[in-house]
Amino acid sequence: MPAEGGVIATFVEPSTAAAAMLSLRERGFKVRALMPAAYPDVIAAVGKPRSRLDLVTLPGALLGVGLGILLTAGTSLAWPLVTGGKPIVSWPPFLIVTFEVAVLVGSLVNLVAVAVGTWRGGRRSAFPAAGPFPSDRIAVHAAGDELAVAERLLRSAGAVEVSRVA
Amino acid sequence: MKPGEDVLTIEEMVIAAHRSPGRGYWIALAIAAAAAIFGGWSYSLIVRTGLHWTGLQRPGMWGNLITDFVFWVGIAHSGTLISAILFLFRARFRTAVYRVAEMMTVFAVLTAGLYPILHLGRPWLAYWLMPYPNQRELWINFRSPLVWDVFAISTYLIVSTVFLLVGVAPDAAVLRDRASGWRRHLYRLLAFGWRGTDEQWRHYTRAYLFFAAFATPLVVSVHSVVSWDFAVSVLPGWHSTLFPPYFVAGAILSGVAMVITILVPLRRALRLEAIITSRHLDMLARLLILTSLIVTYSYATEIVLAWQAPEADPERSTFLYRMTGPYAPVFWLMVICNCLGPALLLVRRVRTTAWSLLVICVLVNVGMWLERFNIVVTSLSHDRLPFNWRVYVPSWVEWAVTFGAFGWFFFLFLLGVKFLPPISIAELKEEAAHAGHGGGALAPGEPGHAG
Repeated sequence: MPAEGGVIATFVEPSTAAAAMLSLRERGFKVRALMPAAYPDVIAAVGKPRSRLDLVTLPGALLGVGLGILLTAGTSLAWPLVTGGKPIVSWPPFLIVTFEVAVLVGSLVNLVAVAVGTWRGGRRSAFPAAGPFPSDRIAVHAAGDELAVAERLLRSAGAVEVSRVA
Repeated sequence: MKPGEDVLTIEEMVIAAHRSPGRGYWIALAIAAAAAIFGGWSYSLIVRTGLHWTGLQRPGMWGNLITDFVFWVGIAHSGTLISAILFLFRARFRTAVYRVAEMMTVFAVLTAGLYPILHLGRPWLAYWLMPYPNQRELWINFRSPLVWDVFAISTYLIVSTVFLLVGVAPDAAVLRDRASGWRRHLYRLLAFGWRGTDEQWRHYTRAYLFFAAFATPLVVSVHSVVSWDFAVSVLPGWHSTLFPPYFVAGAILSGVAMVITILVPLRRALRLEAIITSRHLDMLARLLILTSLIVTYSYATEIVLAWQAPEADPERSTFLYRMTGPYAPVFWLMVICNCLGPALLLVRRVRTTAWSLLVICVLVNVGMWLERFNIVVTSLSHDRLPFNWRVYVPSWVEWAVTFGAFGWFFFLFLLGVKFLPPISIAELKEEAAHAGHGGGALAPGEPGHAG
């Protein structure tokens, strides 16, 4: 999605950036942020729900459980050779392999999910070409109808720099 | 310092540290490479002309190579412990040390993974351990602990590497924006298209939590699986239900000792004393004391249980052999290094002094290697059949492979420090912001500040 115009401000403190974003949202502005670290209060101030990666990762882990069972029990049944006097399908040792496969597949699915999520996130909330921002700052972008109000709000909230983008 | 300046200072310090490591770095890298090459050449003697180069003879068919395997898996343990478990417990002291610990984990697993292959008489057939459809339709035996090892170690390597690289992505983006040439391409690849938008952080923080949740039970499982290599046999000294917790505690002890062994010279060489403070080392030393107490308790439990067994019990005989036989120096040195040495850390002055902490941690590393040697070798040398008893002595080739592995590990680690930031820039920035005045990690006068 192409970046839209609006107002961009930079902040030093995450708490002031978060407060500014909350007041912008109260006035009906759409806000997004660019930051050097995972500041929880800024992420919360954007107002988006919690990431639902678990909807992908959990089924991934369950798929790993299934693959582990299939691999151990399936291959043992395919050539039923008794070793060590143990049953063909010996669940205690098979559970070890199944656990490892579940963790492996779950982690890889989680990796794919976060890679897709961050790639889409990078595009969807692309910032207008006012950057690059100093790496110690938090950049806040506000889009809406009354940009002069947004500018005033951002300045009064303690923004270091405020500028309009087309 | 003004808040904003602190964040920039953190970034500059970390980037400068890994960009200009100095002449000492190149000397250390050359020594490590030479040791690794010599170890590799020594191993090639075994491949070219046979296992007679080792001291292995019936009944002691496991020696230095398996000792090294267990040792390096143990070293690999604490990286994920410090990174994942302490993350879940919200232990903030992990921030400054976890990247080094994670790198150590990945390179230690890469080292440990070599050993089962090196130990094989025909290492070129190692792929037979992998589950793949073959011509005879005969699959691998999932009831064998060797196959559990393959799955546990491979999974641990992949998950630890993914965990490390995911953690590196935001920092790689910072380096990407400052680098040029091939380095820029490298960091662009490692950054996964990272820009730092709120949407990216929203997914990232959630995914990181899941990685930590996956890695935590994995840490416990891997060394438990390694302990089952021994415990599922019927050999006296191996056949024990105590082994999984005993191995896990021992692994954490050796891993934390190795982290401190690396951190103390590293923070000095890279001038990172303001970030990796004495408080961080103090917290790691406390972890060392805790795990040393668990290991001491395990030693005592083993000995007491063997002591209470009937006089003719092979378990009792094996433990008496360990303590009083030809391997007694190994046993008592192990007790001194792993139990008495860390006990000195109960004295605050000892654990907050860098050199004394370093000496004790090096001793723990030696002691943990001896512990593995003690477990692997003494039980095989003194099995249930007295006519079998024989003292195993490693050959110079085995020692060369052992020291070559240290060279290989440190060579990889030093390269890793050169290309990846040794400390998480993003998390330090977050911590600095949380400190309220923007300088929690660096503020003079705070507990643990280098000054």
